[in-house]
Amino acid sequence: MADLESLGEVARTDVLVIGGGIAGLSAAISVKEKNPRLEVLVVEKATAGWAGKAARGGGILAFLTPDDSPEDFVRYHVEHIGCYLEDQELLMEYACTCNQVLELLDSWGARIARDRRGYWKYVKTPGAEVPWGLAGVDLDMCVHLRRRASELGCRFMDKTAIVELLKSGDRVTGAIGFDVRDGSCRLVLARATILATGSQNYRVMPMWSCGRGDGIAAAYRAGACMRNAEFGSFVNMIHVASREVIFGAEDHMFNARGEDISSRYRPGIQPDICAMSAVGWYLEHVEGRAPVRVKAEENVLQIGSEVLFSTDLVWKRPAAIAFWSRLWEKARRAERESDHGMPEIMPGFIGEQSPVMVDHGMATTVPGLFAVGDVSYSGSAWTGAVPSPPGRIRGSGLMNAVWSACRGAASAVEYISGEGPGAGADASLAAESKERIYRPLGRERGVSALEMVRRVQQAVTPVRYSNWKREDRMREALGMVLEAKEVLSSLKGEDPHDLARCNEARSMVLCAEMFYRASLLRKESRGWFLREDYPDTDNSNWLKWIILQDREGEMALWTEDIPLERYPYRPPPGRSATTLAWR
Amino acid sequence: MNRIEIDFQSCEGCRRCVKACFVNVLSWDREACRPVVAHVEDCVHCNLCELSCPSGSIEVMPDFASLDWTAF
Repeated sequence: MADLESLGEVARTDVLVIGGGIAGLSAAISVKEKNPRLEVLVVEKATAGWAGKAARGGGILAFLTPDDSPEDFVRYHVEHIGCYLEDQELLMEYACTCNQVLELLDSWGARIARDRRGYWKYVKTPGAEVPWGLAGVDLDMCVHLRRRASELGCRFMDKTAIVELLKSGDRVTGAIGFDVRDGSCRLVLARATILATGSQNYRVMPMWSCGRGDGIAAAYRAGACMRNAEFGSFVNMIHVASREVIFGAEDHMFNARGEDISSRYRPGIQPDICAMSAVGWYLEHVEGRAPVRVKAEENVLQIGSEVLFSTDLVWKRPAAIAFWSRLWEKARRAERESDHGMPEIMPGFIGEQSPVMVDHGMATTVPGLFAVGDVSYSGSAWTGAVPSPPGRIRGSGLMNAVWSACRGAASAVEYISGEGPGAGADASLAAESKERIYRPLGRERGVSALEMVRRVQQAVTPVRYSNWKREDRMREALGMVLEAKEVLSSLKGEDPHDLARCNEARSMVLCAEMFYRASLLRKESRGWFLREDYPDTDNSNWLKWIILQDREGEMALWTEDIPLERYPYRPPPGRSATTLAWR
Repeated sequence: MNRIEIDFQSCEGCRRCVKACFVNVLSWDREACRPVVAHVEDCVHCNLCELSCPSGSIEVMPDFASLDWTAF
């Protein structure tokens, strides 16, 4: 039987954090702040502090302003965002404590804009009466967090792709992966493991490209339950020529006849983008009223060709403004002159599947494994019937990342105190994992990782498959995913970087299968989840969470009733057609 | 496919561009102490390598036409 040392370099730590983005760094800092004696190791595929989506996103923190109450936030969320699919107890805890995130980030060195009185400078979502405000944090926040984590004594292992979790009996006791530069095998033995690897975004939209589902897949293979996997089809509306997001475009869409289609598909004032934006775009094309364009001059989120939050008119954020200015300067070169003022738009599929199921302390269903940030946004269930951020509240992603990281860190510290010293791992299972991880490298012929990724993208990006769902179309898409799954065993990797892509492709196939199997089971429309064949919200039969788990190689699915009897807000019984009222 | 050009005459070898890349497009040549564009096919033109370079020695040239996935 192999011993662990014979498999590769073995590192030992009290707490292993997988992922060096905002959630992982927050968890690492939080563990150290709770117990400085504990050793913390952060493992990251790229470089912790520069990795993840946060450095390339909006830098927005949605919080409760002095005019907002937790009760109003929870009620609004349940009625308009998560559509009664929330864990309302956790949602209330979030509403009551999420504002601490701003203080924490500030104390860790992140730069959050303040007003003249010294309070967080915030704006309200234009036009919408929503019980939260938006504060702005500069995009170099994770660099500051890495610095803070280093000061506290956290260690870092960069350029290391984690592929599988190690186990001892039923407990997760670390992870195994490899150095993406030289391919050497690395194992980490840990008393507690915190997963902070982000959501599944299938490598479609550029700035979301790092979310490739490795952590979701590793947790699933380790036996963890998944929840709300069907809410993994987030889209933004984007410019056709550059594929860059046009923020606010969904509220100013016009078809080829010059008809305002936003008011048709997005009745009333919406707090943020909704799935109907993409579906409306799709139906206009199918019914011969394409192309769909956006009337930029009416977009309240833009000033001329500038996006409001990327100027210093709202928040002075040097790193963010430099980032967005450079990106859009290049994008504008690609955008046609003829589109000026009325650019053609399309849905840009992002995904944001985030199904790792966790309890209120961010513990997964496998002992020793915790999941924080986007990897468990939907799986935590406080968020309800939406994909992970932006979900339907822009700015909830950063907040949830730090908020959940602190909870996960507290749980991990408590878990360790009850577990006693030492951590081992089943060496035979680790050896099997290593053999499986490296298998594509020895293959001379086979399917490339990028070809496999392309096949998965073809099954998830079309609106008719993933957003405007119908039984026959989803079965067609699932068939494409299962065909891809059949040829996973012939994946071919040419070097360690390509080997990482092979694993990511494997994760994408698995996540797409979860998405379609769960979507086929949910026979209604709710929140972000829209079915042409079940257009009504069905409160009699579908106030349920769909749970997924690996059972000896098979994907088992079942439902769990939402304990509404314990919650303050309950929907009217029966069916309602509010989701698709335009029909 | 995007292109990345590095001016090795002005590059100071500070390695910031390699750190800044979140998808491991750039690697590091230890002997030459210079960055290497190792996997340009994975570049998603976030431009953070370009923005992080103190000497302005690296430029990302996006190929927007290569983003050809469909929403149909």
